Parts: sequence; structure tokens; C-alpha cells
Amino acid sequence: MDILTNLLCILFLPLGASLLIIALGKFRKQYAPSVAFVSSVFALGLSYTLLKNMSESVQFSWEWLAFGDAKFHIGLLLDNIGATMLAMVSIVALCIVTFSIGYMEDDAAKGRFFAGVAFFMFSMTGIILADNLIMIFLFWELVGFSSYLLIGHYFQKDEAKSASQKAFIVNRIGDFGFLIGIILTYWQFGTTDLALLSVKAGLEPTLISSFVGFLLICGFIGKSAQFPLHVWLPDAMAGPTPVSALIHAATMVAAGIYLLIRIDFILTTEVLTFIAYSGTFVALFAGFCAFAQDDIKRILAYSTLSQLGYMAAILGMGFSGIALFHLITHAFFKALLFLGAGAVIHACHHEQSIFKMGGLIKKMPITAITFIIGTLALCGVYGFSGFYSKDAILIAANDHNMTLFYCLVFGALMTAGYMGRLVWIVFFGKANSEAASSAHEVKPVMTVPLIILSVFAVFVGLNAYWPFGLGASIVSDLDHLHHLSNYKEIHKWVLILGSLAWVIGLSLSLLFYGRGSSDDHLQLKFPKVFAFLKGRLWIDEIYETYVNTIQKPFAEFLSFADEVILRGIIVRGGAGLVGILGIGFRLLQVGKLNNYVLWFFVGLLLFWLYGIDLF
Amino acid sequence: MTIGINEFIIVSSLLFLVGFFGVIFRRNTIIIYMSIELMLNAINLALVAFSRYNNTMDGSIFVFFIMTVAAAEVAVGLAIIVMLYRQKQTVLVNELNQLKG
Repeated sequence: MDILTNLLCILFLPLGASLLIIALGKFRKQYAPSVAFVSSVFALGLSYTLLKNMSESVQFSWEWLAFGDAKFHIGLLLDNIGATMLAMVSIVALCIVTFSIGYMEDDAAKGRFFAGVAFFMFSMTGIILADNLIMIFLFWELVGFSSYLLIGHYFQKDEAKSASQKAFIVNRIGDFGFLIGIILTYWQFGTTDLALLSVKAGLEPTLISSFVGFLLICGFIGKSAQFPLHVWLPDAMAGPTPVSALIHAATMVAAGIYLLIRIDFILTTEVLTFIAYSGTFVALFAGFCAFAQDDIKRILAYSTLSQLGYMAAILGMGFSGIALFHLITHAFFKALLFLGAGAVIHACHHEQSIFKMGGLIKKMPITAITFIIGTLALCGVYGFSGFYSKDAILIAANDHNMTLFYCLVFGALMTAGYMGRLVWIVFFGKANSEAASSAHEVKPVMTVPLIILSVFAVFVGLNAYWPFGLGASIVSDLDHLHHLSNYKEIHKWVLILGSLAWVIGLSLSLLFYGRGSSDDHLQLKFPKVFAFLKGRLWIDEIYETYVNTIQKPFAEFLSFADEVILRGIIVRGGAGLVGILGIGFRLLQVGKLNNYVLWFFVGLLLFWLYGIDLF
Repeated sequence: MTIGINEFIIVSSLLFLVGFFGVIFRRNTIIIYMSIELMLNAINLALVAFSRYNNTMDGSIFVFFIMTVAAAEVAVGLAIIVMLYRQKQTVLVNELNQLKG
């Protein structure tokens, strides 16, 4: 199989699977899991052969639309960044689909779920393989759509319904800027092809403008849930847990970072600096918010936000390779954590509050141990995958900007703090509810993916051993760090601070919260601090106020203008005037021949008067 | 007393007015029809008089045209009236008011 066929297969296989599931009709429920599973296995196999045979980047391009001289292409591009993403997405997706077979076993709408997941895989692969911005945008919208579908899976619940709409609408705001950015890019460079763009940007640096850059990163801000469009991600946890793991932790939200990595050559220093600072802010802000949440999935959602902040921060400092590195390691351990949370929720009969759990390590040891592995990886404990990427981020930050460096170290401390809180309360101590005390280990179909992912969560950080020459850009960025003049000094310093961060974070959370406590000690001891954190800077409330006090009156004014001025006065008024004239003229139509003759003569008389210039 | 152009104009105008008011006030379609003919002939009279007065043949030629048109009109118009009577059993215009808006 040549590379082109392989690429097309890997792109369209999930779409085919999705359509097949829909076409199954009444057998949907029965066969949907197997169709999705087989398609994921084949997708992984296809990526394997693709990566094995890949030597350098390949691009295939076809003309799509031509408006006079303006031609638009669609095409596929596979370079080492895309290949790395593709490998990660295939592995994580297979694990998550396998897990879903167990998790969604009793769901009535299994077919819709698996069709949605397969469709998401198609869209995500599309983003990874797209060779131009327009095509990225198309698939960008498709992932948004599948995310909307899957968040709203339990659409009978109001919470899920409004969360799916919120996710879609908030993303739309970002995508609007992104679309304008793409148009302006095309206007300035005359192309949206990524390879051509990078050549042109290199030849004529004057074409690059901050304005276009800021517009382009709007897409990233929406999709990767960065401040101030982060509000949709915590709410998106209303979807099924495997969806949260796949879309809202490992792949789709990382697509924003992936986009930035793709276009980093047309981002100016101002844009990058903005990304770095806003990323650091999100990393800290989300960390704080996580302390006031009691829903296990929401805590993980804020943790995802915070880690996306890390990726954005390091990307803003100019190390896109390290951002990709953290993206990959994060995808594995965060998918693991979410699936672990899913297993816990499944075992506790859909109880999501951590204060109603407790002592689960005895009842579900495999889940607990894999979850703890994920936590350690997330905290950056030495030897786990998170350590390597976080270490690289901190070293680069130390070299680049000391303020951000200290903020990020503090962020690592927060991470360890809230993850420690989660782990101590959920897995240790005693059970705090009926559901938790009757919980037992989930089935092998769910534990096996956890074990596989935990293996990756431990070892995926050793990127020097990645097969097929994956992650070339990561290696080059790491090399850059290794050749810093004071590398050894910085490394030692980062190692000490990073390790202190997780040691202090984990132990303080143990001391403060205790094992398996049934209520929030922070809330009891410092209610004001808790209320502040619970408020999450009142961003949602600010948006609500904005929508209610500014946008709604404006919309009402527009509606008034439409109803009264346009429809009422202009349209209805015009029709009314003609109508009244018509009624007047109708009075003349009395139906008597004699009158018609009279009027005829009156008309004739008027003509005559006009003819003799009387008026 | 000599009969000049003025007398002709007066007679022709009176005839025209008789026809006009006949069309306006009478209800019977046949009478209206006759009134129309009366108006046409009033015009004919005026045209002939002017033709004579001006010593040209233009007016007389028009008279022939009008007589031809009137003959054709009678043929069609009477047929319409006959058909109307067959359909409605009446020729009175106040009962033929289907044109009312």
C-alpha cells in the first residue's frame, strides 16, 4: 500500500465506520461497539504501517475550487509533527473506545455514541493531516460539531443540553476570529498552504502582522479553552466520561496547541508573548479553581485547562517542540486519569462527588493504582512521563523569563495539591457513601485500557526511544536546551524546585484534607477563600451579566428595529398604503355601466383640459 | 336666415348631449346602444359640416370610417346583448353588475 492510499484510508476509515453504524438501523445497539473497535484497531494498524514507511514529510494536493485566478487546494500533509500526533491519537482512541465498550454497556443510545466517536476520529485525523488553513478550519468545525454531539449525549438532562450548546457557541466566537484570520492570511500571502506559507514568511518577513496573528490564535483560544473562552470546558464534563477523556482532555483541546505549532512561523513576538502570559495565567487560574470543585471530572477538567496553559506558555516562549512533547505526554496520562475517573464513577453508580467516595483502593485496586500512576505523571514525579515534559518546560522557562518560570513552578505545586486532594479523598480512608462502600472493580474490558495507558503514562516521556523517528521537532528543541551554557546549573535547580513542588503539594494536601474525608476542609476552615475559588473569578457570571444587560437589550433593540421599523413601517406600511388606495379605488368600481361611462368621460375631459394646457 | 356653421355645431352638440345623457341615465342596454349611435351620428354631422365649411374632404372621409366602424360595432354589440339576455334573462344594466369590485 502506497502512502497516499494509506493516508486516505486512515482519514476515511472512521467516517466509514460512523456511517456504517448509522446504517445498521435496529442492529445499531448490538454491533456499534464492535464496528467502532474494529475501525480503531485498523486505524492503529494503518498508522503503524504509515509511520514505519515514512522517511520525511509528504504532501499530496488537489485543486478544489477556482474563482478566476484564486485557486483553493485540499491536500494531505504528513510531517513529523503530524505523525507524532497521529500515533498518539490512534493509541489513545483505541484505548478509549475499548474502555467505552464497558462503560457504555447499559446505555440505550450506544449507537449514537460510537457513531459520534468514530466521526470525531475522522475530524481529528483531518485536522492532523490537513495541509492548508482552510482545510484545517473545515475539520476544526467538524470536531466542534462532534464535540457538541457527544457532550449532549445525555440530552434528556438539561445540564448536558445547555453544556453542549455553550461549548458550541463559545467555540463559535473563537472560530469567527480564526476565520477572519485565515482570510487575511490568504489576502497577505496569497496562499493558505502551510508549507508555502512557511517559505513565504521566511522570504518576506514584512508580510507577517501581529493583527493577523491575534486573529488566528482566536481559534486556539476557543478550542483549547484558554482565557477568556475557557468557560465551556468544565461544563463539557456533562458528556460521557470516555468522551471527556478523548475529546476534552487528550485530543480536541490539544488541537488548538497543534494549530499553533503548525503556524508558529507567522506569529510575531507580541502574539507569542501574549500566548506565553495568558497560558501561564490559565495554568495558575485553573489550578486555583480546581481546589473548589467536588466533582471528580470537573477537577480533572480544570487540571486539563491548567496543563493546556503550560503548553501555551512554553509555545509562547518559542519552544513549539516542547509544547508538542507536553501535549503528547499529557494526552496519555490525562486520558488515563479520565478513564480512571470513569471507572470510579461507573463503580459508584454515577456518583461524581469526591466527598461521597473514599477508600476505593481496597475495592478497585487496579483502577486506583493506574489512577495514582496518572497522578504521579501529571505531578511530574521523577521517572514518569510528565516529569520529562514538565522538566523541559521549566528549563526553557528558566532560560527565557524568570517571572513565568516561578509562576509555572507554583503551578506545579498547585497541580500536586489538587491532585493530591483528589487521590487522598477518593482512594484512601473509609467509604463515605452507600455507593462507594458497595463499589467493586470494573470489568477487564475497562481495566485493560487503563493498564495500557498507565504503561504509556510512565514510559512515553523517554522520547529518545520513540520508534520511527517520531518527535524530531521535540528532539531538536530538547537539544537546544541541552546546549545552553549553564544547562547543568539550571537543570539541577529545576529538578530541586520541581521535585519540591510535588512533594510539598502531595504531602500538604494529605495533611490538610486527610484521607477519605467526607467534607471539604478548605470550605470549613477558610470559607471566604473557598467561596472566592468557587467563584472562578466570576467569569461565567460576568458573561451572563454581559449577555443579559448588553447583548440582550441590543438584540431586543435589533428585534424592535426589525419588527417595528422594517416589518411594521416599511413593509406593512407600504402594503397598508397600497391597500388603502385599493379600497378607495374599489369604491369607484360600482358595477354600473353608466358610471363607468361617466368616469370615462370625466377622464376624457381631464385629458382634454391637459391637452389645451389648462394645467 | 342662413344656416351657417354655428347652427350645425349647435345641432350636433345637442344631439351628442342627448346621446350622452341617454348612455348615462338609461338602464336598458338597447337604449344605451341607440344613444351611442346617436353620439356617433352627432359627430358625423359635425364632421360633414366642418368639411363643407373648410372646403376639404378630410372630414367626409372620417365620416365614412365612422359609419363602417359603427356598422361593425352594431354587429358585435347586438350579438353580445343577445347572448347576455340568454344568460341573464335581462338587459337592464343595473342588474348586470358583475364588474363590481
